[in-house]
Amino acid sequence: MITVEHLTKEYGKRKAVDDIGFTIPDGEIVGFLGPNGAGKTTTMNIITGYISATSGSVVIDGLDILENPEEVKRKIGYLPEQPPLYGDMTVDEYLGFVAELRGIPKKERSGARDEAMELVAVADVRTRLIKNLSKGYRQRIGLAQALIAKPRILILDEPTVGLDPKQIAEIRDLISKIGKERTVILSSHILPEVSAVCHRVMIIDRGRIIADGKPEMISSGLEGRNRVSVRVACAKSAEAKTLLEGIAGIETVTDSGSIEDGSFDFVVEAKPEADVRKDIFFALSKASLPLLGMRVVDLTLEEVFLRLTTREGEEA
Amino acid sequence: MGAIFKRELRSYFTSPSGYIFLGLFLLLSGIYFSFGVILSRSSDFSAFLDSVRFIFLIIVPILTMKLMSEETRQKTDQLLYTSPVGIGNIVLGKFLAAFVLFLAAFAVILCYSIVIIVFGDFKVWESIGASLGFILIGGCFIAVGVFISTMTESQTVSAIATFAVLLLFWILEPLKSGLPQDQTSGIVFACILAALAVYALFTATKDRLVAGISGIVLVAAIALTAIFMPAGYSGFIAAVLGWFSLLKRQQSFSLGLLRLDDTVYYVSFIFVFLFLSVRFIEKRRWM
Repeated sequence: MITVEHLTKEYGKRKAVDDIGFTIPDGEIVGFLGPNGAGKTTTMNIITGYISATSGSVVIDGLDILENPEEVKRKIGYLPEQPPLYGDMTVDEYLGFVAELRGIPKKERSGARDEAMELVAVADVRTRLIKNLSKGYRQRIGLAQALIAKPRILILDEPTVGLDPKQIAEIRDLISKIGKERTVILSSHILPEVSAVCHRVMIIDRGRIIADGKPEMISSGLEGRNRVSVRVACAKSAEAKTLLEGIAGIETVTDSGSIEDGSFDFVVEAKPEADVRKDIFFALSKASLPLLGMRVVDLTLEEVFLRLTTREGEEA
Repeated sequence: MGAIFKRELRSYFTSPSGYIFLGLFLLLSGIYFSFGVILSRSSDFSAFLDSVRFIFLIIVPILTMKLMSEETRQKTDQLLYTSPVGIGNIVLGKFLAAFVLFLAAFAVILCYSIVIIVFGDFKVWESIGASLGFILIGGCFIAVGVFISTMTESQTVSAIATFAVLLLFWILEPLKSGLPQDQTSGIVFACILAALAVYALFTATKDRLVAGISGIVLVAAIALTAIFMPAGYSGFIAAVLGWFSLLKRQQSFSLGLLRLDDTVYYVSFIFVFLFLSVRFIEKRRWM
């Protein structure tokens, strides 16, 4: 259980983190979502005890990070944005060093090291110097380092940066697997990544939490919008547009030009509760306008931000 | 602490710095031994150690420049400071790694004494005293180097600054004789020190009231002592600088005298600088 209250971090006059507060129960996977410089890393650095907050408190399982730093740090595994690796060590040596640093008893060290290497699949490079390894390997060794002492809480700052798509999928699976027994906080600026793994998402912007909830809620329901992109084969765009505008439940139709010859693309926005895809299909087929493609458009992170921040502005 | 000590000691041998340190140390001390002892037919081991001391200026920066600064630059400090090891232990582990490498190099130098034992008149107690003094002063300089390397991310800056500070320790003794001895300059110097102390207190606590009150107390204390015991201020500057005169206290060691106050002075000097390193790291995490 992680309880963060009124956390504020000031760098001079600039507030990197501005009165953040939340509670994370055991076993939850939480994603911090936000643009670069929003305060995600600073928040993580404070929770892990790397830096101190200007004010506010972090309490983990009833222990305050400032009062019992060593006990709290024992519970946390941390993968910072840049994995803290020593280039002049081999993977074996490095993980052995971390195991000792984290206070794993001597007898269990090599077992813990092998297990961590197995989990992130880096055993094939165990005897190589870290400075000669690729970014993907380094990221995974960083993850092994965070996992090695089997901490109850894992904090991962942008865990999939620099990985190829296959590795990203593997890391996501790994996080979901680990998250079954542990609390995981991860940060990202990629919306689909967060919605794929996390039970809960907090959107952070300019040092403040501007939204907190389930990922589905963030990507669609939060906005009260429902958008579909369609491609229709027709001679004139106006013809299809009027037809689409006539369907019940559709609010706006935006012409987004022509990509394929002899067809036009439209973005259709409907009322939140209405699923207009069937209606579009039947309406077009009735008018003998072939439907070439249709897909639901998720909001991009930029749009989520833009809407959240402008909505806040309206309230104020 | 054990893990950090071992890693640091190992890293001296996986990077050039350990070899450069050992090479320079042994080369320079070897030259001194050849010319100062063998060729000049002297059998004075403690005089040899005294003359070889100047190589600290060059080798200590090599030894300490990367200790903390490289961690900060590579961001591996995040691993150390988020692990369940106190900062005091981290600093101590790093200091010990550098100190042990220095001791290993010194052990080689000790072998030179065999030449004197076999061919000359070896003065046992003077040599033991001088060796102890050599080790302690080496420890002090390494502690200064550790402290300086916590202040910068750049190894180069760390090395140059360490060299400059050590050089200052060197010229302190000759410098002292040239300083003004009169009471007025002593009082002015005391005021400057008080101002520095108040400034340090203010940056540490950010509390105007505490800093202001302690400033007033300090000024009052200086004023009172200046009025009632002005004689105490003559030669005050030299006395204060004398606290930092590491080399002067070597003399008794070289005579074979193991004085408790000198030993305590060196050991506490090391601890003060290691403590300052810890404070400095903690303060940066609060900023």
